[in-house]
Parts: sequence; C-alpha cells; structure tokens
Amino acid sequence: MVQIVVSSARAGGLAEWVLMELQGEIEARYSTGLAGNLLGDLHYTTEGTPVLIVGHHILYGKIIHLEKPFAVLVKHTPGDQYCDELGRETGTRYLVTALIKDKILFKTRPKPIITNVPKKV
Amino acid sequence: MCCEHVGGAQPSVQRSPHPLTRAPVDADLQPAGSLPHAPRIKRPRLQVVKRLNFRSEEMEELPLPDSPRIDVTPPPSPEDLAELWDHEASDAAADVGLTRASAAARNPVLRRPPILEDFVHVTSTEGVRAYLVLRADPVATGVQSPLLHVPWRGGGQLDLLGVSFASLKEQVHGERRERLLQEAQRLSDTLRSLGSGEEEAAQPVGAPEEEPADGQDASTHCLWVDEFAPRHYTELLSDDFTNRCLLKWLKLWDLVVFGHERPSRKPRPSVEPARVSREAHDDRSPEAFRTRIEAATQMESVLGAGGKPNCLVIDEIDGAPVVGSLMPGILNRKGPQEAEPQGPAVPSGGGRRRRAEGALLMRPIICICNDQFAPSLRQLKQQAFLLHFPPTLPSRLVQRLQEVSLRQGMRTDPGVLAALCEKTDNDIRACINTLQFLYSRGQREVSVRDVQATRVGLKDQRRGLFSVWQEVFQLPRAQRRRVGQDPALPADTLLLGDGDAGSLTSASQRFYRVLHAAASAGEHEKVVQGLFDNFLRLRLRDSSLGAVCAALDWLAFDDLLAGAAHHSQSFQLLRYPPFLPVAFHVLFASGHTPRIIFPSSQQEAQNRMSQMRNLIQTLVSGIAPAMRSRATPQALLLDALCLLLDILAPKLRPVSTQLYSTREKQQLASLVGTMLAYSLTYRQERTPDGQYIYRLEPNVEELCRFPELPARKPLTYQAKQLIAREIEPERDFFGRVVVRSTAAPSAGDTALEQDSVERLMGTAVGRSEVWFRFNEGVSNAVRRRLYIRDLL
Repeated sequence: MVQIVVSSARAGGLAEWVLMELQGEIEARYSTGLAGNLLGDLHYTTEGTPVLIVGHHILYGKIIHLEKPFAVLVKHTPGDQYCDELGRETGTRYLVTALIKDKILFKTRPKPIITNVPKKV
Repeated sequence: MCCEHVGGAQPSVQRSPHPLTRAPVDADLQPAGSLPHAPRIKRPRLQVVKRLNFRSEEMEELPLPDSPRIDVTPPPSPEDLAELWDHEASDAAADVGLTRASAAARNPVLRRPPILEDFVHVTSTEGVRAYLVLRADPVATGVQSPLLHVPWRGGGQLDLLGVSFASLKEQVHGERRERLLQEAQRLSDTLRSLGSGEEEAAQPVGAPEEEPADGQDASTHCLWVDEFAPRHYTELLSDDFTNRCLLKWLKLWDLVVFGHERPSRKPRPSVEPARVSREAHDDRSPEAFRTRIEAATQMESVLGAGGKPNCLVIDEIDGAPVVGSLMPGILNRKGPQEAEPQGPAVPSGGGRRRRAEGALLMRPIICICNDQFAPSLRQLKQQAFLLHFPPTLPSRLVQRLQEVSLRQGMRTDPGVLAALCEKTDNDIRACINTLQFLYSRGQREVSVRDVQATRVGLKDQRRGLFSVWQEVFQLPRAQRRRVGQDPALPADTLLLGDGDAGSLTSASQRFYRVLHAAASAGEHEKVVQGLFDNFLRLRLRDSSLGAVCAALDWLAFDDLLAGAAHHSQSFQLLRYPPFLPVAFHVLFASGHTPRIIFPSSQQEAQNRMSQMRNLIQTLVSGIAPAMRSRATPQALLLDALCLLLDILAPKLRPVSTQLYSTREKQQLASLVGTMLAYSLTYRQERTPDGQYIYRLEPNVEELCRFPELPARKPLTYQAKQLIAREIEPERDFFGRVVVRSTAAPSAGDTALEQDSVERLMGTAVGRSEVWFRFNEGVSNAVRRRLYIRDLL
C-alpha cells in the first residue's frame, strides 16, 4: 500500500498564500528566462478589485474564495531525511508549508497601456 | 363788512339757497314788535358779499370797554350756544336797546334780530335761529383772523370767484369797450396812412363794423404766413414746370383712386384743398408712425367731406430715420391706403413723391424732405418718383409779397421787396414774417433802409458742408457792395454811414462772410478735414509753397487749440478755430475751383492705424515668455521687426529636407526655432484671383512695408511651404509649441533613476522583462496525465 504522508511543517500556524490565476502564458523577453525577473505589479483598487500590470498590459481580476482550499506541499525524499524512531526507512513525505484559501483570477482580456499618446493624430 | 360765524350752525341766507347770490338784507327781516327804524339805503350789491368764515377756532376778541360778563368769543358748539343764549336771556331785563347794543358789541350772536345794526340770520341744525351782527370792517380786507395765511384763496374768503358776478360782468364790458376803442384807433391810423384823411376823429361807430372783416388785430389773429398760405394754383411759388409735373403725377393716380380716368380739366384752378388736416404730429417711433398712417388711411369716407379721396403728405421725412426706412415696408403692405392732398409746395431744397409699385397702394403718398441723400431714405428712393423743387425765383417771390402787402395795407415797392428776398435768401416764410413784424411795430411803409437794418426774419440756418467749402475756396463772383445787407457783418460796421460805406473793403467783406459761414457750419472737425483734403488740389498761385506752409501751421494751431480746449476744459479757446477757414480763404481762394471731394483721409488713416496696432498686439501676445520681456511693442516695432523679417528669409534650397547638409539643417532648425519663439507661421491662403499663397501669420510684413521703399524680396512659395511644414508639427491647435519629451512614456521615468522602486515601476510598465500572452477561451477541459510515481 502506498502511503504518502503529508504533515504540517511546523507547529505554529501555516502561512497563507494567495493563488494568482492567469489565463495565458508568461514569456520572457530576454533569453535569460523567467526566473528572478519581475512579473509585474499587483494593485488593488478602492473597491478591492485586484489590478495586475504586466509589461504593457493591465489586467483586472477578482478575488475568489476557494471552497476547497489548497495546501502547498513540499516534497521531502528519504535520502536526506532523518529516520523516524522506529528506524524504518521513511518514505517520501510531503510537508505542508502554506495554505491557499483565496485566489485572484484574471480571466479578462488584458488592456494595453499606452504611455505615449501623440498629441496630433 | 364782516361777520363771525358760530361754529356748528348752518348758515343760510334769507330766501336764496346759493351762498353767492346777492341777498339783500332788507327791512322785512325785522321781526314784528321791534322798533321801526328808518328805511335803510339799499347798499350796493358789491358789499353784500358773504365772507363766511368757517374757521371756528379762530375767533375774534372784540375790543370791549366794559364788563365781559360772558365770554365774548362765540362758543364752538351748539350746546354752548344755548348756554350763551341763556346768558343772553338773563340780559333781557336790562334796557333792550342798550343791552342789545352792548351785547351786540360784546357778543355778535343774537337771538333776536338787532335793531340798529345790519345782520344776517343763521339757523342751526336744531332749527334754532340766531342773528349775526354785521360790522363795518375798517381795514376792508375782510380778513380778521389772526392767521392771515389761510389755505383758501383770498385769505379766508369762501367765494369761488373772489368777486361778485356783477363786478365781473362790468369788468368784461369795460374790457370790450376798451378793445373796441383800440381797434378803432388803429383803423383810423391805417386809413390815415393810406392817404385818405377825411376822418380825423375815428368814430368808434365805424370801428366795430370793420373789425371782423380784415383781422387787423395782429395780436389776436393768426400769422400772415398761415393766412396767406396758397389756396389757388396761381398762388404757388414754384415754377410752372414743377407744378405741372406734380399735377400730372397726381392725375396718374386717377385710375387707381377713382377707378377711371377723369376728364381732364383745363388748367386746374385749385389743388383740392379739402380736408388738409393740419395736425402736426411728431411721432418718431415706428409704431406711432404706423398707427398714424393706418389711422389716416382707414378713415376713408368718414373723414372726407364730399367723398373726395385723401392723399397723405409726410413732411420732413428725412428727420426721422426710423420712419424713412419703414416707409417702404409700410407701403408695400396690402390694403387700401390713403393720403391727403398736399398744399402747394413751399420749396425747401428737395421734394419727393412716392408711387407704389403694384396694386397694393391705393392712394398717393407725398413725402417731403430736405436732403434727398439722407441714408435713411435710400430704400425709399428706389420706389419713389423724385421731384426736385428748384429754389424760388425771386421775381415770383416779389410778386407774391406784393400781393400780400397790398392786402395788408403796407406800402412797398418792388425794389424793397427784392432786397428783402435777397436778404432772406428767397425764403417766403422769412419774408412774410419780416413784413408782419414790421407791420406790428407800426410801420406801414417799408423802405430799403428798414429791410437792411432789421435783423429779424432770418432763419437760423445751418450751412451745408459743401457750401462752406465752396465759400472758402471760391472767390465770390459778384463783388457787390452789400454793406448793410449782410447778416454776417458785425453790428458796428452797419452803423458806419449810410449808403456806400467806404471803409469796408471787399476783402473785409469776404473775411466776415467766410467767418460767418465757418462759424455757422455745424461740425468744425469735418470742415477742417475737408479743407485739409482739398487744399492741395487747388491751383496755387505762388511757387514757393509758402501758402502751403502757412496753411499747415494753421492746421497745427487748430489742433493745438482743440486739444487744449478739451484737455483743460477752457472752452473759451473755441472762439478761435473758425478763423482757420478764413485763413484758408485768404491763402487759397481762386476764381476756379476744382470739384471738392468729401474728406476721407482721416477715416482711412484711423483705420490703418488701428489695423497695425492690432497686428502688433497679436504678435506680442504670441511671443514666448522668455522673449517677451525684451519685446515690448514699441521696441519690437521700431527696432526688431524689420530685421526680424530679414532673418526669417534665408536662402533655402527648394529640395527636400532630407537632402540638406547638416549646416543647412541647422539653419532650418534655427529658423524654425525663431519662428516658433515669435509664434509666427505661414498659412496658405487663396487670393481673390484664385492663386494660393503662403502668408505670414500674423502678417507683420504689413507693418514694415513702406509705400516708397522697395519691397523686400519675398521667399519663394516652395520655401515657405517647406518652413510651414516644418513648423506645423511643433504647434498644437492653439499655436502653442508642443513640449516634446523623448520616448519614455511615464512622468516618473525620466528623473528618479536612483530610486529602485520607481525604476522597477517603470520597468514593469514599459520595459518589463516578461510578457503576458493571453489565451482566449476557457481551459477547464484540459486534462493532463499524472502518475503516482511522479509524486513519490
């Protein structure tokens, strides 16, 4: 029987993460890849609508409370884990590091941001 | 005589209800039982004037020597009166007469009529009768009240007339008698002066018969002008041709008015004089005017005696500007309109008629005006038949005056009348008025001397501008010695001698004549402008131009005078400007004058100046602030502008700007920069002949263009087009220069490099490293395989 143990990482409360869901793809401009780069800015309007600015696009989304929250699991393989008290070889364990209860969904078509409007058409 | 009145009781005069009627106080008022006394004299009626004093509060204190046992002032109320009478009754025991007398002296209100004094009786509201004593008034003013100032007329008198009716009648009789006597006297004078001297003593009998016949009394009769207004065709003063024209024109209306042609009668003896309603209206407002016309026209057969149609005459139509322009509109209305026949024309410069077009106007309308070139009449002129009345012939006028003077009994001869006509400038009214004036002063014989010496009868004239200019520039043709006849000459010259006054030369005459003309012209400004415009067009006598210099000096002087007079409000200086035309006359008058033009140079110069000012103003307001501080209008105009225009015209190759060398590009860029700084540009415009040109805007080339100097060589059309094309993107809609930044879009991007947050924001917006590609559609049906072994 396969058992996969999922346990909480620490005794205290878990972090709460927010999930951002974009309907699309994110591409890197340069060939360095996405890692470490800034995606964009997330702002909230006064009504609470989240606004995401990515490049020259602006997306409007909404916050959705998840009825089935997600948990963020980190996999720990037995190779570098300590053995439990029974001395048995522990299997792969998943540690929960965060919970996700809300998500921000951007599903509308993004609007372009035009910063240089020529004065004369 | 006076009496006091007891307040509250109703006064009533015996036997007559009217208080003013004379009611003799006679003997039958005495009650029975009193002592009979001598019949009294019937007093003259005048004295029984009831001066009834209703002012109960002002009572008179009788000067009493003895015992004021009771209060002498009559009580103000009936109750007190009764009380008084009780007192009175208590006196009855005393001697009747004495008591009565003294009582009367003390108290003028009695219960029984007095024996010795005059009295009137008074009945109170209760029916109690009292008798009031009449006393002789020593002062005879009838006013005894201490308060003399009574708001009634006559100081307390109630009578409406103030005097009795009989006295009024006597006054009237007296006046009538006197007037008859005066007229008789005057008639006898006339008869005497006419040479028939048989009646030495003018009988008053003869006077009343002649009195109503001739209306000799000038004071009560109307003016001669009205009396001798022409009523027959033969009495018309205008020449025959004009009269016939008018008649013919009126005849043309026959068809419209009567519906048929009337049989023409040989010379019409009278212009139809019926129903010339002599109301003089001064309605200036259009509404009043319209209602007036309608009223005159709608009342067709009601007003006309004998059913004659009316003809409307409108006089002085150029005086009311509104009216003149309204006439065509009114007269083109539908519906019958009427008018009154005109009295025979007294010419006064110009006359005109109006004949409508179309069948809308049913009656003729005659409009009279003095100046046919008045702007308000322009529209009317197009629809009207113009008839110009030439000035009266002196011979005709003299003839008429002879008739008038014959009728009135004045002795004149044609020479005198001719002189009179000349003096009044052939004005019929002035002549007749002068004659009447002389007549009323008692003169029955008019001599040349009288005509020359009298200063009345002259119309107050305003000379037209052209006549003034003519006077100035033209030598008078007939240099007659008209010493006493010229009203322009000052009074003291008239007194010099008689006949030929040798001391007054023709030059002096001309001097005064022109002075008078200049002073009587209404607008000095216009006169001077006319002189200025025209004086160089004359033939000058001397070649040194000294006269021109003198004339210009005079013009400067005139300007200074006007400026000083208005600046310091010392209007006494305005006595001097009329001498300028005189100076011009002396300098420039010649026998032959070219045609005098109406001055327009002032207006033109003024327009041009304001135009240039506006141009400068527009230019200055468009200059960028950096340059504005150094570009005041004055400095710009005088120093910089011409040179600026030179700077703005460099040599540019007419090729595309791409082919320019760097130096040329630099040149072009600096040119564009300069033009932008002064907010100048080239705008394409279409000339009236269809060509397209580029014009500088604002067109300050006008400011630097001088008519005598050679014009600057302008840029070619291509060059201007090029420049315009360069400038255009740099200016926004309002012509302001667009401040252009580089391609960085956001405001925060340019400056704050050191702040990493800002930088990141800028990165996110414009220069982000990630792109987002949106996927259309939904993706909830996408499945992927997941193996457990991947999880392990």
